[in-house]
Amino acid sequence: MAIRNKLLLSLLSVLALPGIINSQGLDTFEEKVTEFTLDNGLHFIILERPVAPVATFVTFVNVGSVNEPVGNTGVAHIFEHMAFKGTKDIGTTDWESESRAIARTDYVYRQWVRERSKPNPDQERLERLKQRFDDLVEEADQYVVSNEFTQIIEQNGGTGLNAFTSADATGYFYSLPQNRAELWFSLESDRFLNPVFREFYAEKNVVMEERRMRTDSNPVGRLIEEFLSVAYSAHPYKNPVVGWASDIQGTSIEDAKRFYQQYYTPSNITIAIAGDVDPDRMRELAETYFGRMSPGRPAPEVITKEPEQRGERRFVMIEESQPFFLSGYHTVSQTHPDFAALQLVGSIVSEGRTSRMYKRLVEDEQLALAVQAFNGFPGTKYPGLFLTLAVPNQGVSLDKIESVIEEEIQKVKDGDITQEELDRALTNARANQVRSLNSNMGLALGFAEAHAQRGSWRESFRALERLESVTLEDLQRVAQTYFIQNNRTVGMIKNQSGDDEEVAMNSEEN
Amino acid sequence: MKKFILTVIVLLFAGLQIADAQKKWNEIDFPAINNFEMPEVEILELDNGIKFYLVEDRELPLINLNVRVRTGSFLEPDSKIGLASMTGTVMRTGGSEMYPADDLNELLENRAARMETGIGMTSGSASMNVLKEDFEELLPVFIDLMQNPLFPEDKIELAKTQSKSAISRRNDDQAPIASREFRKLIYGEGSVYARHTEYETIDNITQEDMVEFHNRSFVGNNMLIGVIGDFEMDEMKSTLRRVFSELPAGETIEIDLPEINYAFENSINFVDKQDVNQSYVLLGHIGGMRDNPDYAKLQVMNQVLSGGFSSRLFQVVRSDMGLAYSVFGSYGSGTFYPGTFTAGVMTASETTAEAIDAIIGQIERLQNEPVSEEELQQTKDQFLNSLVFRYDSRSKILNERLNYDYAGLPEDTFDRLVEEIREVTTEDVMEVAQEYLRPSDVQILVVGNSQEIGDQLSKYGTVNEIDITIPEPADDREVVEGDAEMGREWLERMATAILPNGSFDADLTFEADNIVQTPGGEMSIGIEQTLNFQEERITSIVNAPMGQVTIEIADGQGRMLAGGNEMPMPPQQLQQSKAELYRNYVYLAINKDQLDVEFLGMKELDGEEYAHLRINDELPLEIYLDTETALPAQTEYRQMDPQQGRRISVTVEYGDWQEQSGVLMAYETISYSDGNQVSRTVISSHSVN
Repeated sequence: MAIRNKLLLSLLSVLALPGIINSQGLDTFEEKVTEFTLDNGLHFIILERPVAPVATFVTFVNVGSVNEPVGNTGVAHIFEHMAFKGTKDIGTTDWESESRAIARTDYVYRQWVRERSKPNPDQERLERLKQRFDDLVEEADQYVVSNEFTQIIEQNGGTGLNAFTSADATGYFYSLPQNRAELWFSLESDRFLNPVFREFYAEKNVVMEERRMRTDSNPVGRLIEEFLSVAYSAHPYKNPVVGWASDIQGTSIEDAKRFYQQYYTPSNITIAIAGDVDPDRMRELAETYFGRMSPGRPAPEVITKEPEQRGERRFVMIEESQPFFLSGYHTVSQTHPDFAALQLVGSIVSEGRTSRMYKRLVEDEQLALAVQAFNGFPGTKYPGLFLTLAVPNQGVSLDKIESVIEEEIQKVKDGDITQEELDRALTNARANQVRSLNSNMGLALGFAEAHAQRGSWRESFRALERLESVTLEDLQRVAQTYFIQNNRTVGMIKNQSGDDEEVAMNSEEN
Repeated sequence: MKKFILTVIVLLFAGLQIADAQKKWNEIDFPAINNFEMPEVEILELDNGIKFYLVEDRELPLINLNVRVRTGSFLEPDSKIGLASMTGTVMRTGGSEMYPADDLNELLENRAARMETGIGMTSGSASMNVLKEDFEELLPVFIDLMQNPLFPEDKIELAKTQSKSAISRRNDDQAPIASREFRKLIYGEGSVYARHTEYETIDNITQEDMVEFHNRSFVGNNMLIGVIGDFEMDEMKSTLRRVFSELPAGETIEIDLPEINYAFENSINFVDKQDVNQSYVLLGHIGGMRDNPDYAKLQVMNQVLSGGFSSRLFQVVRSDMGLAYSVFGSYGSGTFYPGTFTAGVMTASETTAEAIDAIIGQIERLQNEPVSEEELQQTKDQFLNSLVFRYDSRSKILNERLNYDYAGLPEDTFDRLVEEIREVTTEDVMEVAQEYLRPSDVQILVVGNSQEIGDQLSKYGTVNEIDITIPEPADDREVVEGDAEMGREWLERMATAILPNGSFDADLTFEADNIVQTPGGEMSIGIEQTLNFQEERITSIVNAPMGQVTIEIADGQGRMLAGGNEMPMPPQQLQQSKAELYRNYVYLAINKDQLDVEFLGMKELDGEEYAHLRINDELPLEIYLDTETALPAQTEYRQMDPQQGRRISVTVEYGDWQEQSGVLMAYETISYSDGNQVSRTVISSHSVN
């Protein structure tokens, strides 16, 4: 039930850097992984990991906020919330009556949204519609058995129950004692076969609170939202995953249902199960429970491509909070040959205590409390940004921070990185890979994502080979290709008392 | 044709069979759960007091060593808060005798090895996570880091800069403000449980302090060490025995914490934050201890109230009412000191009171009606059915054992808890709710936007507004003793010079041009200001290039009006403006009798002699008086620049004194910050009315 924040996850994304090391390579996993595709196109990946009698289940849907239509930003995330509201059998005392009331409610709601969105709304009509809407919500709510769906999971010992929506994807997951696997098949197939839009409008209020928490009331959240909307002019990476406030309010059940019908088709879903499970039994259960989903049409693709940026974009937010610096260059998607080199530039300049920007900005010159650079924001499925963020120390100007970061980027363009640094980055990528292989959750999610977005779970190992083939010349070349001024966006928070206005305000009482 | 029909029938049949096989959630029979052999935790104790806990885990080629150190920030004096944490930081960043910082970092990162150290409130840690093949070689490095850290001055300075930057940022987000201030409400402002770093406490910490803190803490008698990974048990034990025996035994540190005398009370507290549209609410009171015999019952109660998606707070406040994304509440039980009972919510400013009431309503419900047998069973099942996850990794088994030992709890603590939870009844839940929760005696803290919240909070009582302005460090200059009698004489002369007709209580109004130095050159701003020194009221009309702004300060409140919009003055700016009022020479003249003043002798400035006075007040000020006219030629004070995180020296020069209605004003005023001119103010007229 969360927005996956790629920024915070960027640390983890480095952890998830795939690689092969000794006995923990692709070969050992070939023996433990079974995969199959149902006739309707739904793909399963089963990883046997009998370390403990538990299993983790991940449903990975290849749909994110990039797929949202105009006027419905946030709908991918809203639908994700709705997937916890139950089914026709679970969470209701009388589905037939409830569904009739829900349909009537949504009809009135759509009329209200339509009227509200006019340049000169008829206030009286809005009032009437609102009144009618409130009555119908009350009618529908009388059938609701609150949170029965999640309660069943939790009562059965389910842990880690949650979901995420990102720009690129939506994922649902939890773990169960291994003998209760069939319960997962029953519940999971039911909720995606017959989604109900129960308590839809109250849940949208919950989503609005999530937006207030992560974005509206958080200075860095505001900065990032602004940053993406400036850095992108056409591609939907410009929209916040949580959605614009007016779109969240305007989205109806009909909108959410349409979105579901287009994107929650079996061929757009990958399921990964990791733990103490028998792959044959999993296959039987998969046929039984998920075989009944009809194939549907292939999900639409994103048409819009971000046009080439023609000039630098900059903005400053004057805030009550302390300064913050962000810059980004448009780069490439994860399937592009330059992706690996860009990823390595990120780790060489900012991962670890020996990295260039950390050493200079944080330790030697004490300019910043923290600095980080990485490729692939806000997503990796489509061309993302190479992002650099810095948290200035007290008394350090943003100009200074920017010029030092620019100098470090210039060094990469000048070919200043050494083989030793590249080797070190690769060693750490390999070790990080090893360290990431001991969690059912991490493995299942990683395999599902690799299959859905790069064609095979094996890609989560093969990417290390790509990193290993990167040369110093590649690092210099990608820096020269992408790190150019016209391709850059800079956004910052300045403290309101730190600007010139403050001097004027305060010096009046001499 | 026949074949076709047959195929159809077969398909249909097959379809039916599949349909039949699907079961609803409550129709499924679960097979027995697979067996699981729980690994034994092996114990090794050395003569120097170190106790090892070892578990083999051959899944990945890694070895992990976690040292738990009996120490904590509870040991540091009030004047040096931050010492423990900074010791933990600089231990690692400063490197050791054999491996200074840069060498250490390269050595470790070349092998993708990790070593970290840290110290919290009631424990410290040092950890090493390496590839198996590097273990033998890196273990001595780890030992050197723990035993011989360098604490070099440059890394201490770095840690101080970082700590101070963090202090300057601590009011940017709601959550840290709320948790910090809530702890003060529950445990008491200065208590060891609620205190936190300030610029001054960071400044007070020395290298010697850190060395001493480290030497006392990182000794054998204070160490419990967990070792897990891809190793052979006997071989590992002999390595550890060989390498760790050289550590000194030292003195055992007792985790001895002060008692808390909590007086239950009802209060409503508020922190104003203008840049948010959501209220961050925490409410509650003191909690209890882990060794309370009612612990199991309280855990069931917590689960009913706020454990997961099916809990009451989630169901009511989030799902049904749609008031929050985040809502929580639980009765905390501490190991070394009492926890807190804390419930909280993040909700739109407009629904702040509604959400508070909803939460309190759910707490009261726990006391007023028993949970149903069904809800109790569901809650217990949730716990009992997920028990298998307690051991889903070998490291969890190791950590549980080590944690219980550190806390002084018996090895079978968790097994006992399981048994006790099975026994909990519906009456038990109601009884502990009645005994331990006090919904009518909660302290409520709201961090939110006063403009949007309005008067919603007044129904909970008189709102106590908490000032979270970050305190400045103490002035580090030497205090010189002066002559109080002479000081008083000079101040009297100054007052008479400025106010020839004596004190007044009318408004003083003046018009001026303020010329400000900006990076883009000089900028002139027209100002009309009315001051009332008795009522401490200021009205300024500022005609800046970007438009007119009116600033009003009255009754301790400040607001700004611009372009038809009104907004409250940020607290820091309000304080700043008030400080300038208190430093105004007319204010000083009127309030001369209340001031603590000293004469520090004659002082030469630019070839002229001036009488040097010092006002020893909350806002210290130095004044240089013209010896003939007794009018101030210059004042000087130091103030914190929050942007730079250090004190700056502000000097103001006065000239062109003119009288009107019995009040003299300096028609030319020039201000300098650390010697650089920042502004010049030229008054065109003034009046008293």
